[in-house]
Amino acid sequence: MKAFIANLNFRRLVITLTISWLSIFVLLPHLMVVGTSFLTADADNFAIWPITLDNYLKVLDDTYAGVFWDSLVLSGITTVIALGIGYPFAFLLSRMTPALRAILLFMMVIPFWTNSLIRIYAIKMLLGKKGLFNLVLVSTGIVDKPVQLLYTDFAVIFGLVYILLPFMVLPLMASFDKLDQSLLEAGKDLGANAFHRFRHIILPLTMPGVIAGCLIVFLPAMGMFYVADLLGGARSLLLGNVIKNQFLVARDWPFGSAFSVFLIVLMGLLLWLYYKANQYVQKQGGMDDQNL
Amino acid sequence: MTLTSLFRNVSAAAALLAAVAANAADKVVIYNWSEYIPDGVLEEFTEATGIEVEYNTYESNEVMYSKIKIQNAKGYDIVVPSSYYISKMAREGLLAKIDQSKLSNLKHLDTSLLNKPYDKGNQYSIPYTWGSTGIGINTDEIEKSSITSWNDLWDSKWLGSLLLTDDVREVFQMALAIQGHSANTRDPKEIEQAYQLLKTLMPNVLTFNSDAPREPYMAGDVNLGMIWNGEVIMAQEEMPEIDYIYPSEGVILWVDSFAIPANAEHKDAAHQFINFMLRPEIAARTVDYIGYATPNKDALELLDEETRNNPIIFPSQAIISKGEFQEDVGDEATALYNKYWEELKTSM
Repeated sequence: MKAFIANLNFRRLVITLTISWLSIFVLLPHLMVVGTSFLTADADNFAIWPITLDNYLKVLDDTYAGVFWDSLVLSGITTVIALGIGYPFAFLLSRMTPALRAILLFMMVIPFWTNSLIRIYAIKMLLGKKGLFNLVLVSTGIVDKPVQLLYTDFAVIFGLVYILLPFMVLPLMASFDKLDQSLLEAGKDLGANAFHRFRHIILPLTMPGVIAGCLIVFLPAMGMFYVADLLGGARSLLLGNVIKNQFLVARDWPFGSAFSVFLIVLMGLLLWLYYKANQYVQKQGGMDDQNL
Repeated sequence: MTLTSLFRNVSAAAALLAAVAANAADKVVIYNWSEYIPDGVLEEFTEATGIEVEYNTYESNEVMYSKIKIQNAKGYDIVVPSSYYISKMAREGLLAKIDQSKLSNLKHLDTSLLNKPYDKGNQYSIPYTWGSTGIGINTDEIEKSSITSWNDLWDSKWLGSLLLTDDVREVFQMALAIQGHSANTRDPKEIEQAYQLLKTLMPNVLTFNSDAPREPYMAGDVNLGMIWNGEVIMAQEEMPEIDYIYPSEGVILWVDSFAIPANAEHKDAAHQFINFMLRPEIAARTVDYIGYATPNKDALELLDEETRNNPIIFPSQAIISKGEFQEDVGDEATALYNKYWEELKTSM
């Protein structure tokens, strides 16, 4: 009984701690952002009354349609490439002996111990006119003159994929782990070839991992302003750059806040779609089981 | 209660916590531009005065201003705003008056850089360095004599290859100079014309950089564009082919000055620091190290002849009188500049 009460107290403590942490450092700041987004910009005071919707109208202004579209395209390409690399990688990992798998996973995670800003600076050196990439391209005769890689969309996508790839691999791996090998054997016994086994068994069952991976790559990609600043040449390429400029350069906090809220709503919408898709996929999975 | 005052209260609480955490010993918290002080000077200051130094850096006036504003002019004891930010910050009550009686080394300064319109009588600021923004060029790749003016940057052969500083006022000043307008114009029509001209420059721009503009030149990614004179001096130590051109329309001139935020906690230590930096031998080392000119006339004698006569560091009187110093343009025009700046950067 005593142990039970101690346990209960500990649970209360942990829950209180978590809730206060989230309230102070997540909920409160976000409420401040939402509140600010309805105020009026002012050069001397950051934000003043009256309440207005102008900031949201400004988000929909033509000026930002271009950035919005560019962000979507850059993040979309990043997601597709990360999926293209991450899916086979996660598949191979799931087929390996636990020891080998641990080593490979470890190697993927090690770079994460280094600050991502430092890694982006390293990429900058690799992609420069005198960098390793161009050195190889020129010395192998593929090009005569160093090509411009740095400060292009290519560099930004390269950096985003590099930074975000593990976020694609980890949920995919979890999906592959759950994949029941006996289903594949059964499919093989019943005459399904490799493609059919992939198409009808592996792909549907790993779909939750694919969607989760795509979401946690796609959404942060739109906000990673420092990647676009350093590798893209500080042009406003991503929505994150626009937001950063509003806060630090233009000092239009209400508009910057409105833009942030807009991005949060967009993320919420995508997460909701994920939830719906997940429900759908699970239903499909259940039906397949019945069919077997 | 506005949100601002709420932010202020939160940051005040944070500052209080920080104050409790820090030990009571003397210290000075400096907020300076990146790569803007010689190696070893801070240690020597601590050795000479026993005052600990906490050092932070920024890349633009805007970032520094936002931070000082949100912290209610607290948290830092020394900032180094450019001239036009001195007047803005003083007007908004963000700067403390400087007690000149505590600055025994003030006598070393050249009076031509004191008592300027942005700070009459130097009530709020003491000049640290001055310099210019002109054209940077890699003479191994581009014939130096082929570039003489800002206007040359508009040539379509530079498609996707130029560097501009990530500074709204400097970039606009370039266009305004070409059109024969003052760099400090508040006229919406002139600002709009400059914007239209800059729009046609954007296809030529590869990158914006106010962090260390020399680096893309040194890495070979950029051969032409804007640069600060001191950055060229630093680059030339390794790559003498990187050179500096004073554009014929007039160069952009600026002064960066020491100032003390209004609610700084260590004002006395801040004065001691400014006074230390005004020592001629320290000022001379600053020129050697960061490559910008000093307003310290007694430091000039300590420089070697080559440095003193280097036209990149110390431009001729003719160039200075043709150039234009940056001044505050007021909040309304600033907002307009920023609006066009945003449009330029998002339209690329």
